[in-house]
Amino acid sequence: MHMKKWTAAAIGAVLAVSAAGSAVAHHSFATEFDRNKPIRLEGKVVKFEWVNPHSWIHLRTADGTVWRVEGGAPSALLRRGWNRNSLPAGTDIIVDAFRARDGDTRASAAEIRFPNGRELSLGNPTTEAVQAAARRGASQ
Amino acid sequence: MKRLSILAATAAALMVTVSGPAFAQAAAQQPATIDGKPNLNGIWQAMNTANWNLEPHAAGPNPVADRQVGATGAIPPGLGVVEGGEIPYKPEARERLAQNRQHLINYDPEAACYLPGIPRATYLPYPFQIVQGGNDDILMVYEYANANRVIEMRAVEPPPIDTWMGTSYGKWEGNTLVVETLSQGPGEVKLPGGVMEPNGVTWLDRAGNYLSPTANVTERFTKIDNDHIQYSATIEDPEVYTKPWTISMVLYRHVEPNAQLLEFRCVPFSEQLLYGDLLEENASPAEGSSPSK
Repeated sequence: MHMKKWTAAAIGAVLAVSAAGSAVAHHSFATEFDRNKPIRLEGKVVKFEWVNPHSWIHLRTADGTVWRVEGGAPSALLRRGWNRNSLPAGTDIIVDAFRARDGDTRASAAEIRFPNGRELSLGNPTTEAVQAAARRGASQ
Repeated sequence: MKRLSILAATAAALMVTVSGPAFAQAAAQQPATIDGKPNLNGIWQAMNTANWNLEPHAAGPNPVADRQVGATGAIPPGLGVVEGGEIPYKPEARERLAQNRQHLINYDPEAACYLPGIPRATYLPYPFQIVQGGNDDILMVYEYANANRVIEMRAVEPPPIDTWMGTSYGKWEGNTLVVETLSQGPGEVKLPGGVMEPNGVTWLDRAGNYLSPTANVTERFTKIDNDHIQYSATIEDPEVYTKPWTISMVLYRHVEPNAQLLEFRCVPFSEQLLYGDLLEENASPAEGSSPSK
């Protein structure tokens, strides 16, 4: 009886954690971003926000516009080895992203690239899947 | 990382199953030691006015809501918990202190339900639970804001980023649990009225005392007897203080049979403070809502 309760509690705990996970994600990719509106942004990092539920890169492009690019959760970035020095202000980056549906200067990305070709994952699984699907579509 | 998630799941399971008396009785029968280390498991709480002001202070009216809440919101007096009585701020660090004191309560992260940081989490007027197993990291769960921290039982290293609760590393020195917490930095902080503070600091109490992201906090948990812990925290921050300083106090075990952490998810309670100005701008007085009609 006692054991049974513990098992139920453990399942409850797991459920609670995964429910929190989806609540933290706050939105599905499709409600906020449009997979049919890819955009390539090139510019300098203005700042990087380590905030939940998603990190945000603020990026100034050549025409002076500041774009905000959504990345994964801070915990996902930390697991991938990111730290406070990973993306200092002033760094030149290239981002292939998907624009926000509302037309604002926001986008979601799976990875960033540096001018020397190095790539860095943003730990954003849904956007990664959308990008993989887009690439598969392009190669067909 | 796996260990962390197991700990977190255990804590969540504990919060779900803690079924009052049965659990408390089990707690009363706990061994005095775990793997030869003092058993700190239990629900603890400070019993002082440190969260109002770490330094000695007289009773006083509520700093912002005297007119609305009267004596129920008044500041209770306290002898202070700072060894030596006074926090040794550098002259230049007093500017930030003065700025905090101009915005008491309103700019206090506690009022916004932001995470409290260390050591404030320990002496907030809410209980917290220590979850200690054998030869493993130790979890501290706080009733306030569902805050928690894992104390990694390993050598200190530079944390990858600043966070509200910092990163805690622990070790045993004899019968004392010694915890070092580094990199407590809120970063950019949203304040009431749409104000943004670009360089947030960790408030230590409702009187505006603070530490900065360069602080090193060393806590010591030593059991006095089964139901009391002697607690101290030494704060070292050459950017802000002329020398390290220490607070000390006793933590009391909740011994009532149904002792348990309840939920104080306070984010909704901070919304009027943080965003009330937006409501007033946008909302027109609701028609027909007047009780005189």
